[in-house]
Parts: sequence; C-alpha cells; structure tokens
Amino acid sequence: MKKLLKKCILYSFLLIFTLEILVRIFYLGKDNPTRYLDLYEVEKWKPNQHGFSVTGNRRQNFSEYKINSSGFNSYREFDPTKDKVEIAIVGDSFIEGFHQDYFNSIGKKVENSLPKTEVYEYGYAGYDMADQLHLIYKYKEQFDLIDHVVIYINFSDDLTRDAYNVVRDRLALESPINKALKRSKLLVYSKSIGVFAPIKQGIAKSINFLKGNIPRPETRNDNTTNINKDNVYIDNFKHLITTYGYDKDRFVLLLDSRITSQDFIVYLRENHFDFIDFSEAFENSKQETTLLYDQHWNNHGRDIIASLISEYIRNK
Amino acid sequence: MLFNSLEYIIFLPVVFFVYWLFFNKRLQAQNLFLLIASYFFYGFWDWRFLFLILASTIVDFFVGQCIYSSTSEKEKKNWLWLSILFNIGLLGFFKYYNFFIDSWIDLTSIFGYSIQNTWTLKIILPVGISFYTFQTMSYSLDIYHKRITPTKDFISFATFVSFFPQLVAGPIERASNLLPQILDRRVFKYSQTVDGLKLILWGFFKKLVIADALAPIVDDIFMNYHQYSSSTLITGVFFFTFQIYGDFSGYSDIAIGTAKLFGIELSPNFKFPYFSRNIAEFWRRWHISLSRWFRDYLYIPLGGSKAGTWISIRNVFIIFLVSGFWHGANWTFIIWGGIHALLFLPLLLTNSNRKYVSSIVAERTTLPSIKEFFQISTTFILVMFSWIFFRASSLTHAFGYLKTIFINTNSAPYDHPSGYRMIDYFIIIILFVIYEYRIRKNERAPFNFKSRYVRFLIYAILLLAMLLFYDDQIDRSFIYFQF
Repeated sequence: MKKLLKKCILYSFLLIFTLEILVRIFYLGKDNPTRYLDLYEVEKWKPNQHGFSVTGNRRQNFSEYKINSSGFNSYREFDPTKDKVEIAIVGDSFIEGFHQDYFNSIGKKVENSLPKTEVYEYGYAGYDMADQLHLIYKYKEQFDLIDHVVIYINFSDDLTRDAYNVVRDRLALESPINKALKRSKLLVYSKSIGVFAPIKQGIAKSINFLKGNIPRPETRNDNTTNINKDNVYIDNFKHLITTYGYDKDRFVLLLDSRITSQDFIVYLRENHFDFIDFSEAFENSKQETTLLYDQHWNNHGRDIIASLISEYIRNK
Repeated sequence: MLFNSLEYIIFLPVVFFVYWLFFNKRLQAQNLFLLIASYFFYGFWDWRFLFLILASTIVDFFVGQCIYSSTSEKEKKNWLWLSILFNIGLLGFFKYYNFFIDSWIDLTSIFGYSIQNTWTLKIILPVGISFYTFQTMSYSLDIYHKRITPTKDFISFATFVSFFPQLVAGPIERASNLLPQILDRRVFKYSQTVDGLKLILWGFFKKLVIADALAPIVDDIFMNYHQYSSSTLITGVFFFTFQIYGDFSGYSDIAIGTAKLFGIELSPNFKFPYFSRNIAEFWRRWHISLSRWFRDYLYIPLGGSKAGTWISIRNVFIIFLVSGFWHGANWTFIIWGGIHALLFLPLLLTNSNRKYVSSIVAERTTLPSIKEFFQISTTFILVMFSWIFFRASSLTHAFGYLKTIFINTNSAPYDHPSGYRMIDYFIIIILFVIYEYRIRKNERAPFNFKSRYVRFLIYAILLLAMLLFYDDQIDRSFIYFQF
C-alpha cells in the first residue's frame, strides 16, 4: 500500500508537470492581462501588455490582444488633437474585442471605410453605462478633443446602477492568490473549459445543504417586474447623464432595439438622443453575426457594426 | 452516482482506503463494507429503488436454498419459476409495462378499435434493473443446473448482487465467477491495483474523449437528420458507432478496473468488437457478458444450433430478438436484433459461425491480410448501419434517417453545433483505432509497453486528450444506464 501511495503521488506530480508543459507548448491557456485602478479610479488594463486570448478547448478561438499606453486593447495609441477627426467607441467586451485580433477590430474597420479618421476603442469587459460615462467624465480633456463618441449600451445589463463606484469583485481577480494561480496555464485552461465547475457546484450545494437552504421557485409577475425594471433603468440613465454629463451633439448610443425596452427607445427619441440601432441589419444578415461559442460579434457582425458607425458619421 | 462524476471521484478513493486499511482482516467485514458502499452508491441516485434490489436479493437467496434442498425435480422447477417470474415480473413492470399497453392499443387500432389510453403509468426505470435481475436469475439457474451450490451467507450474496462497480451496467456476472471471489477474503495486491488503475484511465479516455466528444454531433445529426446530406448522415452513424463503443466499453473498463482495486476480477465485456471478421465474431466480442447469458440460459436450453436447421434458425431469431428487446422497450431495438439475426443466419447455414472462436485478426503479423481487411470492413459497415435502429427514437425516425441517406445525396459540409473543427474528431477516431489495433491481443492491458517512459508518455497524452475534448455542457450519463 505504501508503494502504491508513493507511486501515485510521484506519478500525479509528474503528470501535472508534463501537462503544464504540453498546455504551454500548444498555447491552450489564455494570457491574463493585469487590471488596475488608475489615478481617477477608472478600472482598466495596465498599459503596454501583449498576449493571446484563447476561447474553448482545442484553441477554438485564438486571437492576439495589445493593450496600449492608455490601458485599452487597440492597434493604435490614443492621441486626440483639434486638427484630426477622431471617433471614440466606448463599451464592454464587445468593443474591447479580446475575441478578435486587435488589428481586425471594429475601430480598424471604421478607419478603413473613413480615411483620415482615427478610431479609439475604449472597451473593457464588464463596463456598464456608469463605468463608461465615468470614464468620459474623468478623461474630459481627452474626450473633448474627440469629434464623435459612440457608446455601446446593452439595456438590460448596463443600467443596473445610477452612480459609479469601483467594482471590487473584478479587482479581486488581481489578488496575490489569483495571480499566483493564473501562472499555471494548466489551471487557467482547465478553469476556462469548465473542469472545475462540478467542484464549485458541489461545494455550493454542500454549503446550501448544510445551511438548510432549499431553492424556492420565484412567484413574481414577470410582466410587472419587467415594467418596473425598465422604469428603474431609465431613471438610472437619467441620473447618470445628469451626474457625468452627456453631449448630445457628439455622443451617440449604439444599441440593439430587439433587446432594448421600447419605453427607453421612446424616451431617447423624445429627448433627441441619437442612437444607432443595429437590430435590423443583424436580422437581415444572411450570415451569422455572432460567434458560435459565445455571444460576441463575429467578423461579419463587426463588419456590420463598423459600416453602421461609418454611415452615421458620414451622414452627421 | 456516475463513474464520471465528482461524487464518484471522492467516493472511490475513500471506499478504497477504508476497505484496505480498516476492513482488511476479516472476510465478513470486507463484504459488509462493500455492501454498504454499494447500497450508498446506488442509493445516491434514488434510495427508493434499493428496496427492489433488496427484494430481488432476498427472493433469489431463499429460492437458491430451496432449489438445492428440494428432493423432486418438479419442486426444483417450481422454485426456479418463482425466481424467473419474480425477476422478469420486476423487469416487465418497470421496463416494459407501458410498451405492452401502447403496442396493444396500436394493434387494436389496426382492426378499427379505439381504446382510450388510460392504463399507461408514469414509471421511472430503475437504473441497472436489467443487469441485476439477470445476475440474480443466473444464480438460481446455476443452482438448478447444479453448476454451483447456494451460499448460506446472506451478506456475501447481497454483495454479489449489488457489487457497485458492475451494479448498474454490468458486466453481468455469473455466480460461478463472482460469488467464489466474494466468499474468499481478498488480499491487497499491488500489481492488481495498478492494473485496475490503468483500466480506469483507459475507460475514462474512451468515455470522455471518444463517447462524450462525439455525443453532441450524433445528437444533432440524428435530431435534425432531414436537413442533412447523406454524407453527413453517414458521418452521424459512423460517429455513433464509436460513441456507443466508447461509452459502453469505457464503462466496462472502469467497472472492471474498479473491481480490481477491491481484489475482484470481473468477466470480460468487450474484446475489440470492431476488428471482428464476421457477425458471429462480433457477438463474441461485444457485450460478452450479455451474449453469454443468453447463450447459456436461452439459446442452449432451446437446443442451440444442434437441433436441426429450422429449430436452429428459430433459436437464432429468438436469441437476437430477445437480446434486442432486453435493451429497451421500443420496436427499434427489436428490429436491431432482427437485423443481426439476419446477418448471422448465412454464417449458421454455412456452418461458419464458429470460425473465429479463439483467433484474433493478424495474429502473427503486424497488418491484417487483404482478406481480413475486407472482412473487418464489411462487418464494420453492416454493424454500423444496424446502429441506426439502435440510436433512432422510433421506427419512423430510423426509416426516415435511412431514406434521407439515399435521397439527400448532395455533399454539403457539416458544421459542429458548437463551432469546433470537425477534422479533430476524425483524427481522434483514427488514432484510437490504430491504438486499439496495437493492443488488440489483450483488452485487460491497454498500456502493455516495456518502456516505462513510453507508458508515461501515453498516460500524459491521454490526459491531455481528455482536457482537449472535455465539454462541460453535455449530458455525461452512460448510454447503457437507460437499459
């Protein structure tokens, strides 16, 4: 029995070590850029990082990212001046675009169709409207030099709060323990493909069982709840633009009206907020517009978004 | 509890160490502990059905004693019938009741009668019922045929019936093989344990990499078959051929490997069936424990192949149709069995069904001869197309699938439902077939290489493959659990 135990331990160690090497050789695990909170309490990526984002097992999607000196994934540096024409695209992971090569982003596609224009992509996974308007507010000097600001909004996710505050949960990912764990590509890869999901579920189940918590079905009226939620989100939007400002002449919202409250659309129209609605273009597309393995836009989806933005700017 | 679940990954080492560290000294303690562990294993799924196992155990334990102590042949036969009726009754109620009711209603509707379907019940099929009822029946049958004597140790007998590695999906053990091992104190053997661990690793590879990786593709193609071209439909059934093999033989390897950890050797269940040179050989290599059960307790008592041509043909059809029906309460399984009977018939009539009883393909050479290659390919293709009936949800589905293969003859490419590269699956199947061919002489020793470095490299590659093909979104249960 002792021999068995000794060999099991030895083999486990050697196998884990070998797998770590193999995962690195085949580049299966994604690189994790470091995030931080800057002087203005804006959460972003630490400047000047470079790496590869990997989705799914067997490198289902493999793309390169490059964090510029401003802390955002972009093929260019952000250097707005009064003389040039600049467009800023502000948003969450859809704009950040870790699922695409940084040199094939929406911004690059817009630049290709609008020569002599520079496009700055201020995208960061998890950003909501509060994050976005807070960023614009804190970097007012920079944004004042930018001619057009496109703000991507997902109504149901991005208006859940009426003021900006730092999201500590996200920054906790930079804790020393998390950082140390991320150094193992085998762990990063295993986690990304859901190997640890049953363990997490098992622990959560056990804790619930020990606490005697039994999940109960919700008995709310969905329709009423949605109406209430919509009103809260619209109020949050009003509150956010009052707090951080919103320049209707330069700012335009990018949204999908299929997943946006109609009350919000009416509110935007009545109050003369410009918005680019990509729902029709996506619906009419004969090709898929999102990736198969996650909900982000694929190359064709990004082509559509870029052409809609370009068209809007041209007509402005 | 599934073998590939977190619960089992915790359960197995705990039971293993407790068994060898604390229950090592006495046979009774070993068996009692194994029985408790087995009931916990089964009860984790649904404790209510433990009573069924217990009932089946009690009935056959006492029936066995009664058969043995009976003085007249008639009395023995009566006791045997009690065992058969009880076990078949359990199986009939839980597995086939609704099927017979529905079939009766369908039959009467053909003659213009309309019967309101108020008799079907919402019955949950207890996991493993087809396996443990057959195992307990074999005990009574073996005592009746004087192959074994009954045991007086109830705990040991209950352990034989419910031994957790093979409780829910076999191999279906014969009392003559498993019971003597249960009745003998097990001693820890390092080499047996290591062999067991190796088989478990190989079984997990087959399940996670071959079966589970192919499952979403097979499900998609079979569900939406009318949309797909014939090349895609052939790919679908080709993948299912490997999915079901990976799933069931993977399960059997894990079961046999796990049993080894407790010092018990289970019967073989698979011996590289896709390298068979004819259908008869296929059935000596596929689900061996079930084939042997039907051969010994049904085919031979009916006269086997030695009772004249027509009786032999009848017996072949009976054994294959019953074997098909054993798999599930659906006409698809019966047709599947019928197809195999038809494929077996020419071998029976030409007296070549016993041709490859003990030999293996390319026994003394590296590569098979052209004749062998042709035989293997033909058998594989026939078996593959028969799987359409096994996989389809109904006869309409199966015939629709077959018809579409011949109608949609365009060759539109198929995209994986989750966007993965399709070529990966073909590559892994080719590598798997090559490796299985390499180890074809001994199914119990998948890593029989002299160099420990080669063995280690293979372990690492298998584990990497498991990571490469791991999919947390799919249903991980074993196909044969539903039988």
